[in-house]
Amino acid sequence: MKHTTETRDDHMIVFLDGRLDTTQADAFEKAMTGLLDEGHTKIIFDCEKLNYISSSGLRIFLIMQKKMMGVAGKFTVCSLQPAIKEIFDMSGFTMIFNIQPDLEAALKEE
Amino acid sequence: MIRRRSLAFRIITRVLAITTLLFVVTLLGYYHYTSRIVRESARANAIELATNLSGRIEQVLQPMEKLPEMLATTLEMGIFDMDSLHHILEAVVSNNPTVYGSAIAFEPDHFPQHGTHYMVYAHREGEGVRSMIIGGEDYNYFYMDWYQIPAILQKTYWSEPYFDEGAGNILMATYSVPFFTLRDGERRFSGIATVDLELEWLTEIVDEARIFDSGYAFLLSRNGVAVTHPDRTMIMNKSIFSNAEEWNAPVMREVGRDQIAGISSFREYNIPGRPKLWIYYRNLDSNQWAINVVFPDREMYASLRQINTLLIVFIFAGLLLLSIIVAGVVDRLAAPLTQFAGSARSIAEGKFDTKLPAIRTRDEMKELHDAFTHMQEELAQYVVNLKEATAAKEKIESELRIAREIQLAMLPHTFPPFPDLPQVDLYAMLKSAKEVGGDLYDFFVMDKDKFCFAIGEVSGKVVPASLFMAMTRTLLRTIADKEKSPARIMETLNRSLAFNNESNMFVTFFLGILDLRTGKLTYANAGHNPPLIIRKQNGQAEVFEPAKSIPLGLFEDFVYGEATREMQPGDKLFAYTDGVSEAENAAEELFGEDRMEEILLLCREERPRAVIERMERAIDEHVKEYPQSDDITMLTIAFNG
Repeated sequence: MKHTTETRDDHMIVFLDGRLDTTQADAFEKAMTGLLDEGHTKIIFDCEKLNYISSSGLRIFLIMQKKMMGVAGKFTVCSLQPAIKEIFDMSGFTMIFNIQPDLEAALKEE
Repeated sequence: MIRRRSLAFRIITRVLAITTLLFVVTLLGYYHYTSRIVRESARANAIELATNLSGRIEQVLQPMEKLPEMLATTLEMGIFDMDSLHHILEAVVSNNPTVYGSAIAFEPDHFPQHGTHYMVYAHREGEGVRSMIIGGEDYNYFYMDWYQIPAILQKTYWSEPYFDEGAGNILMATYSVPFFTLRDGERRFSGIATVDLELEWLTEIVDEARIFDSGYAFLLSRNGVAVTHPDRTMIMNKSIFSNAEEWNAPVMREVGRDQIAGISSFREYNIPGRPKLWIYYRNLDSNQWAINVVFPDREMYASLRQINTLLIVFIFAGLLLLSIIVAGVVDRLAAPLTQFAGSARSIAEGKFDTKLPAIRTRDEMKELHDAFTHMQEELAQYVVNLKEATAAKEKIESELRIAREIQLAMLPHTFPPFPDLPQVDLYAMLKSAKEVGGDLYDFFVMDKDKFCFAIGEVSGKVVPASLFMAMTRTLLRTIADKEKSPARIMETLNRSLAFNNESNMFVTFFLGILDLRTGKLTYANAGHNPPLIIRKQNGQAEVFEPAKSIPLGLFEDFVYGEATREMQPGDKLFAYTDGVSEAENAAEELFGEDRMEEILLLCREERPRAVIERMERAIDEHVKEYPQSDDITMLTIAFNG
């Protein structure tokens, strides 16, 4: 999986691209921990190009969510593909994540 | 010594090609330049020869010309008594060995008393000199060239050479000088004074001239007829113009024309069918006779060719020597390479202590030697490390195998598990992708007629996941001793797992409690794949609604809900982890929930064990040889009522 980051307004946007499976999760987790250490308080995961996620991947989403809650920040997930959305639904994560249909909505939403 | 395609062979061919090319270019340049010098020098030689010849001929001709000129002068001055003319002429002849005869011929009727013709002539006869008076109808000299031409031109005149038959076929030429007398106070043309010159001496002088081996000189008259020639038959034979015609040699005609025009030149002289020649020609000063110097092209360049031949021989000998030396040097330099190749093969076979060729030089070969030594050491070290690493890995693997056994031993694995409970028939299977995994299932009887079962999946990787799984399984049994509702069990389990869960691991979990008397199923789902019920009544598969709660271990205070569902006798519940629905083949195609449902319906009449085995086969057929990436866990419970 590849990921790129972009700062827009005061949001740090992470674009996920490919498969976030167990073998990729470690590297991605490190990168995201680095991002958290930089002190961002508004982070968006744009999952438009994310086409697979394993439970290890979900764990990283959870870590982000918990950390952002800890600093009164905001973690938003947007542009989920239907298959990924289904996994979120099935695991009940839809309830704990702020999920937006697209990046525009994620940026606008306060 | 020189193997084809060997280093030496390739170096020699390249060096030879380049040096040969250089030599050829140098030789061509040298040949071009020196041949010009040789030609220039030949030209200078020819000019010098012709000039020299010309000088020697003039030395004879010019004094001869003085004789009739002196006669003419004295006749004009009227010094001579006419009767003494033959004495004078006899003296002229006898005093000049090259003079054959001398004459004074008068204009018609100069002496009316002697008739129309009057000519005094002295010439050699035997050892002496004889003079006579001739002229008349039998010898009408007025129309002869030697008289008529200078008379008309009023100028001195050299006749064409001719054979005098009367004098014994001697080649001669006549020089005529017109003279004048005063008559009635007027200077009038009165006659011609001549000398006849033998030309034998000319042949001797010209024939003596030599240039190169066979080059020679010859003299052509005004009309292009040979006056002298080494080949006597050419003398007084055909002119250069008729020869040009006969031999088809236009250059001869050009040469003839040049000579008539008094032009001198050095040029090629090609006569078809003969070796190439060079010619130089120039006219004599006295008359328009031309000296020609001719020599063969082959002789002109002979010395140059000799030098060139020698050069080529030396060069080739030098190149041969160079090749031999290069071959020797390169073979000696490259010899260790062959040995290195042998060493490399030996090292490849694992003999790291293979002896390398000894290198005494401090060049690239030494570098290669050092690199080889380094490679040997590194390889030996690498193999030692590899052996250690392999041993360590094997140790870990064997420990993991033991861990797997322990992990699997925690799960109930005796089927059928409750022979004394006819209400339920069940079968479960867990197939780890790695030695230890994060999936779990469990079942047990609570309070005699409550049957509790659970299935779950831990997020994350092998060893941590297996520890988390073991913890979950242990906590579940402990909690289920006290709590009796699925939601409460979930909440308690969640709190325990979430407490100090720094690694943020979580477990999706489905827990159900089936009342064996009523078939009422109470369940809670913490983010797990919803199970299915295969209804006996209508043969349909009924999928549970998606989980309304998040997985366990995330938030300590999360409130979990529960729901109920009725199971009729003969209904079967199928629970699974996503290793089933997401089993992947080489083309990255998932097994899929649809296929899973399809299989369940196909074997709706089967017992739990057969259902699971059937599902496992279908998964194997889908995945084929592609490595399993996730744990596969299935649990089937049949309610018999």
